[in-house]
Amino acid sequence: MWKYLLRRTGYMVFTVWVISVISFVVIQLPPGDYVTNLINQMISAGGEALPSDYEMQLREVYGLNDPMYVQYFKWISRIITKGEFGYSLVYKRDAAELITERLPMTFALSFGSFLFVWAVAFPIGVYSAVKKYSLGDYVFTFIGFIGLAVPNFLLALIFLFLSYRYFDQAMIGLFSLEFADAPWSWPKFMDLLKHLWIPVILIGMGGTAGLIRTMRANLLDELNKPYVETARSKGLTELKLLMKYPVRHALNPFVSTIGWTLPGLIGGEVIVSIVLNLPTSGPVLYNALRSQDMYVAAGFILLLSTLTVIGTFVSDILLAVLDPRIRLE
Amino acid sequence: MDNTLIDVKDLKVHFFTDEGVVRAVDGVDLKLERGRTLSLVGESGCGKSVACRALMQIVRNPGKVVAGEILYNRGAEGGQAEIIDIAKMDPKGKEIRDIRGKEISMIFQEPMTSLSPMYTVGNQIIENILLHTNLTKEQARDLAIKLLDQVGIPRADRLVDEYPFRLSGGMRQRSMIAMALSCNPNLLIADEPTTALDVTTQANILDLMSDLQKSYNMTLLFITHDLGVVAEIADEVAVMYLGKIVEKSDVYTIFNSPRHPYTQALLKSIPKIAIKREDLDPIKGMVPNPFRRPGGCPFHPRCPQAFAECKVLVPTTTQLTPNHSVQCLLYENFANRIATEQKQ
Ligand SMILES: Nc1ncnc2c1ncn2[C@@H]1O[C@H](COP(=O)(O)OP(=O)(O)OP(=O)(O)O)[C@@H](O)[C@H]1O
Ligand SMILES: [Mg+2]
Repeated sequence: MWKYLLRRTGYMVFTVWVISVISFVVIQLPPGDYVTNLINQMISAGGEALPSDYEMQLREVYGLNDPMYVQYFKWISRIITKGEFGYSLVYKRDAAELITERLPMTFALSFGSFLFVWAVAFPIGVYSAVKKYSLGDYVFTFIGFIGLAVPNFLLALIFLFLSYRYFDQAMIGLFSLEFADAPWSWPKFMDLLKHLWIPVILIGMGGTAGLIRTMRANLLDELNKPYVETARSKGLTELKLLMKYPVRHALNPFVSTIGWTLPGLIGGEVIVSIVLNLPTSGPVLYNALRSQDMYVAAGFILLLSTLTVIGTFVSDILLAVLDPRIRLE
Repeated sequence: MDNTLIDVKDLKVHFFTDEGVVRAVDGVDLKLERGRTLSLVGESGCGKSVACRALMQIVRNPGKVVAGEILYNRGAEGGQAEIIDIAKMDPKGKEIRDIRGKEISMIFQEPMTSLSPMYTVGNQIIENILLHTNLTKEQARDLAIKLLDQVGIPRADRLVDEYPFRLSGGMRQRSMIAMALSCNPNLLIADEPTTALDVTTQANILDLMSDLQKSYNMTLLFITHDLGVVAEIADEVAVMYLGKIVEKSDVYTIFNSPRHPYTQALLKSIPKIAIKREDLDPIKGMVPNPFRRPGGCPFHPRCPQAFAECKVLVPTTTQLTPNHSVQCLLYENFANRIATEQKQ
């Protein structure tokens, strides 16, 4: 168990490191550097071109003359020790501020979608496997394929249209008007929950359909295993033996899906958030990439990816807790 | 005094598949006597497993018990008979669930996969005990340890908390036996319990089973296609071919004077150390496709002694002696049947 945990932690740290390098590369990708950008901005804002020795001085101040690895090291240590992500050239604000404003919403939305996906996919997957080829199985399979095939931005657009048409208001955003800029409070939180379910369903749709198929296939594999027959020959009720044996076995691949569901959810979140105008990190990240607002983009990429890696790590731990074969390995 | 524990009459179990109906068990008559061992033998696919699963109503979908009776005397030995028909019970109902694991229990062929790797051996044994008795968890655990000790597992008090995947095949099969015995069953069904084990372990498990059968005074239904095992463990033998019992007698009669050509062929096909290789004689032909059974006697396409009537007449049971019966036209006076069946 400890060896397993240690190894997984090792993987996690390594992966996060690779991600940080990639994020750093993202910052370096556009032509020019921070100072060139700064100067261009000043010029476009009507300022005068700076003398070139002043430019050199700025570079020295920002450490842009250092070798790459030193720059990387400075960048990452500022993030780790001070939580400084740099400056947003587009929003003219501290990037860290922008990120802390948006990231919790993304987290809430992804986590909510994730719970939705599990809560729906688990019982339906079990039902579809146990009642294979029943009417219910066919209905869920059909709905599932629609959920898989229709991209969630289209679902979001259809939903927008319907809400305009029948409720006379667009169900967009995550808060009602009166709460949008209010400080956090219990009523604001309740208001958030009231709005959250819509994007949660829209984002979770595709993942749910996929996970239903996974659960159904896993469980079908397990239902005819000899240990199920043993359990039945003891006289357990069908429901009890189903839950204790085959479902428990089928849970393994289900749990490992935490890892790959999260990135999918975050990807879907970007698009749905743009369509529904949600105050999450998706739209900001998208804009940042378009307008080469590299410090913001890198910060988001680094944090979102790290969250995903942590999700995978959590699923690994959960697997070890669930499955003695992994734990005792 | 009638000593019958289970009387199976004309049992039929059919599988309703998309390709058609498979008549896996097609009219089986069997009597299981208290405290005796009956061995069910036959080639792979002849319906042994399906037949014995029917005794507990755990036949898999799409299989169904479609006809026949399984008359089970659950009354105490020598006491008042209390006969119930298992064939009529709902496979998911409480009635049969109370019998499973308590009065009739079963051990399976695959010790590697018959126990779930997710739970400890103890957990899976205790589950059975708690389901059928009023013991507390601690008492059930003590009983489980006692049982594991009894089936020859060393350091049973430690092993009770071990996961099955950390045990050898033989140890797992011993644990399965401990589990099956935990509620002191009247009947233990063993479906090829030693097939997946190596020869030494096989012999040990067989010894253990016949010892336990005596000390628990239970009835044993032992399924195998290994006639060597039959000779070692059985009191009675029933030979099965394509869903029917073609010959049935005590073990000496079956080995010394088999009557059915299929039984004779089976006996010729087993290698004995003493005999020469050229005497070894595998049964000719293949087991027929389950969807296209031959008409008449199911064995006639492979039978060296088949004659014209075998192609059209289905043999019925002929009682050669009070404890030796056979389904074969060689021993049946079928002249009357031809006459009556032609009239119809
Ligand atoms: N789930 C199923 N669906 C359809 N047919 C089945 C099913 N299970 C068993 N059968 C049929 O029942 C017949 C008997 O199978 P069974 O498992 O009882 O054989 P067996 O005598 O135990 O063989 P073996 O020695 O290989 O265990 C087979 O011919 C098979 O075609
Ligand atoms: Mg079998």
